[in-house]
Amino acid sequence: MWSTAREIAAGDVVIIWLTRDLIQPLLITPGKELNSRFGVYRHADLVGVPYGSKIGSRNGKGFIHVLRPTPELWTLALPHRTQILYLADIAFVCSWLNIKPGSRVIEAASHRKSLDLLDDSSPCVLRMRKVASWSDESCTGSGSFSHSVARAIGSSGHLWSYEFHEARANKAREEFTRHGMDPIVTLTHRNVCKDGFTVVDTVDSVFLDLPAPWDAVEHAKRALRKDRITRICCFSPCMEQVLRTVSALNDAGFTDITMYETLSRPHQVDLAPALLPISEVGERLKRAEQRREEKRLRQIANARAAAGKRKRTGEGEDNDADAAGIAGKRHKMGGDGDLKGSEPEQAPATFDSDPAPAKSEELPSVSASPPGAVASSPAADKIGLSKAFPEVRGHTSYLTFACLLPLSLSAAAALEPNTDASDVEPPFQASENKDNTTGLTAV
Amino acid sequence: MDLGEGSSRAPIDKTRGDTIQPGNTLLLKLPSGDIKTWKFEKDSIANLGKYGSFHANELLGQPYGLTYEIADKKLKEMASRTLQEVGDTDATNELINDGQFVQPLTSEEIEALKKSGLHASEIIRKQIEQHANYSLKTEYSKEKYKKRKEAKYSKYFTVVDPTVFNVCDYWFNKDQNRLRDIRPDALSQILNLANVRPGGRFLAVDDASGVIVAGILERLGGYGRLITICDVDSPPAYPVTAHMNFRKEVTDVLSSLNWATADEEYIPIRASSEPPSGKIKSDAQRSRLNKRKLVSSSQTQTREELFNGEFDGLIIASEYDPSSILERLAPYLAGSASIVVHSLHVQVITDLQNKLRDDPQFLGPTMTEMWLRRYQVLPGRTHPMMNMSGSGGFILHTTKIYDDPAASSVMAHRQRAKKAKIENEILTETTCANSTSRSNVSPGSHPMADFQSSAEDTVEEGVPDLTDLA
Repeated sequence: MWSTAREIAAGDVVIIWLTRDLIQPLLITPGKELNSRFGVYRHADLVGVPYGSKIGSRNGKGFIHVLRPTPELWTLALPHRTQILYLADIAFVCSWLNIKPGSRVIEAASHRKSLDLLDDSSPCVLRMRKVASWSDESCTGSGSFSHSVARAIGSSGHLWSYEFHEARANKAREEFTRHGMDPIVTLTHRNVCKDGFTVVDTVDSVFLDLPAPWDAVEHAKRALRKDRITRICCFSPCMEQVLRTVSALNDAGFTDITMYETLSRPHQVDLAPALLPISEVGERLKRAEQRREEKRLRQIANARAAAGKRKRTGEGEDNDADAAGIAGKRHKMGGDGDLKGSEPEQAPATFDSDPAPAKSEELPSVSASPPGAVASSPAADKIGLSKAFPEVRGHTSYLTFACLLPLSLSAAAALEPNTDASDVEPPFQASENKDNTTGLTAV
Repeated sequence: MDLGEGSSRAPIDKTRGDTIQPGNTLLLKLPSGDIKTWKFEKDSIANLGKYGSFHANELLGQPYGLTYEIADKKLKEMASRTLQEVGDTDATNELINDGQFVQPLTSEEIEALKKSGLHASEIIRKQIEQHANYSLKTEYSKEKYKKRKEAKYSKYFTVVDPTVFNVCDYWFNKDQNRLRDIRPDALSQILNLANVRPGGRFLAVDDASGVIVAGILERLGGYGRLITICDVDSPPAYPVTAHMNFRKEVTDVLSSLNWATADEEYIPIRASSEPPSGKIKSDAQRSRLNKRKLVSSSQTQTREELFNGEFDGLIIASEYDPSSILERLAPYLAGSASIVVHSLHVQVITDLQNKLRDDPQFLGPTMTEMWLRRYQVLPGRTHPMMNMSGSGGFILHTTKIYDDPAASSVMAHRQRAKKAKIENEILTETTCANSTSRSNVSPGSHPMADFQSSAEDTVEEGVPDLTDLA
């Protein structure tokens, strides 16, 4: 597959990591330049640089990371990035199908190669096509699965890959060649549901990412080797597809039929200030309350002073009553619990006079110290927090798996009369079942 | 058409024997659903308790994955069983009362039937005939009833095919704690994210009973290298690997050091391999000393290999502080090496990610959680399993980078240009520039915004959507 050398060489496919959201593949072609908003880079300058290096741009503005391709990075670097969501599925399928060095694998999936197939389509057309054919929208596509399999099977294994769409088949073939996968991957353009596979009694596992996998089940059975346990996986987004597939697998004699759904939930991690205890919130509220009270008293005092001034200047009584009225009203609004205070002046006065001055000196210093500490040593009071993303993919596809057991003489003999196969099933039970169903349909 | 590539010419299994051989550690699945570990010793008799016993040699040379019925200590291969269609039913449980006497067959009678050598299916049939309310049951509960009885009286077992998936699944169900919550889906993601491939050179810290080691060894298939670091002074027992029944060449790529011998500063204390008297007294002494010499020289070699570095990947599933492990082992990784850390605790991974994102030698640390749901698929009875595993743990994935401190970000330059214009904003802008030089990891930016946006872009694709079916 891709280069395993320490340093980058001309002709290598590398992955350029610009930012987390901007990752692209690059074929190293000396003479060419990579131009991006993160600077200008000559391909020739990358030759001889170790994989995994951070490279500063020629003009000193910006940098990139040059990485060795992996199937996962390759998937991230594709234009259609939703594929990342299938990584959990791909890993799980490879594992269940026991794909390992030396394995022989069939994959019938849709290789959606690039956006150019989609660019000319309006959303409406896209939607139509989606309804018409699953292969466009619901695929592990883009060769993600092929690359994962190729990595796992190594040079001693083989992958037979089938593509229904001719243009896509050609693009996939070009890509496999560019990635040095030719010796281990055979790509065939054909409709496997109609024409079956090109190998017989050969492969260890089959992966079907097709709109109607049940049409390919019998073909798959023919391609699977019969001297040991083999496995199949059908990748379908709809439950209705699963049910049809299960019944086709069952009819074809596959066993251990099971189905899984798997997802990878990304977490968002933040370094945030430690959560405040409520005592601090309480202190803040108390301080606010105190400030409000001081302001009120100040206003009263101002009003009094103004009134006194006016009194001195002549029109006394009305305004005095007015000021008292304001104070009374405010007091009722502010502290309605304080009913015993028959004279409105009394309660605020005591609050204001003896404990308050001392407190007001004290309070800010007490409550200020914890925030002060936070400011002085920010790292100490930061905590790591993680949460799942608010919106994530909830479904990719159902993964239907089954095994095909090796044929031994005794089993082959037992297979012929089907009643023997289910010998724990009492014979009369079957007839009862039949009666039951016919009875019901009659009703 | 490459027809004719028949199985006769198909390659042998690269990582284990093609058939069952003496010395294998097998997993036998019993009718009750339990799995029993059994070591195949030639000419022995295997005892499966109430399910009977059989001559071990009956399994010799058999492929994995088959089901056998036990009769007279002999094994008869059972044909593969297919799913039974359940007929439509209008029965309800309205006429069935709990505690009613419905089963006239006493346990003594059943015992007698068993002793008479009657087949399990016959006993079950008799029970059903005698069962007063059987016909009142729904087809679903009839099925369940038969299944229950089958588990009780049938004498058969299945040799579980020892794939990494099956072995991991067995251990996870047996003792999730010993596997540090590494569920099969977690293991498969770890192996894929770490880019484990034949010929690669890997480091692993596996405090999860060897499930990681088993996975890596199988993916290497005898090509490449695996060095593990453990916390004991003798070679670590990775019990999970026993069930894999690996070929010798598969396990040969594994060497282990511990946290003392993996320390460059430390000079391991070794007993001399020279005879104390200067002369070898006996053959026993000679072989003892030779063995000692071999052990110490292989340890020296492994140490050198580790310290020379350039490993392609590192997998950590440890009970110890992952950042201290990374600090120690990251220098031995090549550029672009994949690092995968698994923990059963969300806090451990969260803290690690917060530490790593300030370190320029780790690119784009990403934290994910696994989710897995299994379904019962039976005709007319397909639904998610009532019980599901709560957690497969948490994974952090990142890539090792050769940092270039001289390279500065475009943002920093833009800020500098700005700075020339607006002297005022120096302070706020430079702090901003510093963090954007790692824009992908700054606390403010969503580290995985691509997930979010792509999920939004494709929300239409959320496929179980009725319009799609039209």
